[in-house]
Amino acid sequence: MKAKRLAELAVLCAVSLVIFIVELQIPNPFPIPGVKLGLANIVTVYAVYHYKPYEVALLVAVRVMLASVFSGNMMALIYSAAGSFLCLLGMLLLRRVINEKHLWLSSVFGAVLHNTGQMAAAVLVLQTVQVIAYYPFLLVSGCLAGAFTGLAAQFLTARLKAIGH
Amino acid sequence: MKYKVMIIIAVVILLTGIAGSALVLNMPHQSLVQIKQDGKVVRTVDLAAAQDEVFTMRGHGGSNTIEISDGKIRVKEADCPDHTCVKMGWLSSSALPIVCLPHRLEIAYAESDGGADAVAQ
Repeated sequence: MKAKRLAELAVLCAVSLVIFIVELQIPNPFPIPGVKLGLANIVTVYAVYHYKPYEVALLVAVRVMLASVFSGNMMALIYSAAGSFLCLLGMLLLRRVINEKHLWLSSVFGAVLHNTGQMAAAVLVLQTVQVIAYYPFLLVSGCLAGAFTGLAAQFLTARLKAIGH
Repeated sequence: MKYKVMIIIAVVILLTGIAGSALVLNMPHQSLVQIKQDGKVVRTVDLAAAQDEVFTMRGHGGSNTIEISDGKIRVKEADCPDHTCVKMGWLSSSALPIVCLPHRLEIAYAESDGGADAVAQ
């Protein structure tokens, strides 16, 4: 990997961590585990469409790990890692089918996959099926949050193109 | 064309979620509540008959203080980082358990079959 490429990925990772920490300070009006806006994923969605799969995987792995360290919620790592992995896998495949003009759609599916991964991890860790009751709520929040972050990433792409990226 | 199909799929997922949420919120509930940690039932409480009580559960590097009052149950205090379990308030819907993901704790109404057995015992 070229040094420039590595530096770009590091900057993206830093940006998404800053967004993540800022979002942590915003009180969540929905007290349901797993429901959040996920603004940091704007960066992930952007990266999926502009970097090679292994580069995105690297970026997401570092981001998820550091996000857990920074938020002091190491137990949450299992859930977010499972969600991110499934989301990443799905989005890298969707990238072949959905073009950049429909980034928001790709992001919606990515968010739903993320919630699905989280749910699966929760069922395995808690060893109970009752938590599946949360899944419908996660689907709704995933669709809305995914569309929002996807649109934001679309605007970001347009702006970055305008300054020559 | 391809995108129309995908948008329809996304809308179907959204509608399924909304319908499912409405279903979960409208499920009838009974009075038997199970407190589980790591998937094991640690305690079963019959809310209809339970005395008001405050107790603390420990495990996975933290504690949750659970309060039973007026036939309702909630997590009163917790030292987990996100406090989602506390913010969820009193257990209300049958299918929507209170969970503390960091401490692997779950408070849920017992499933109807198991519930009947437990009462019979």
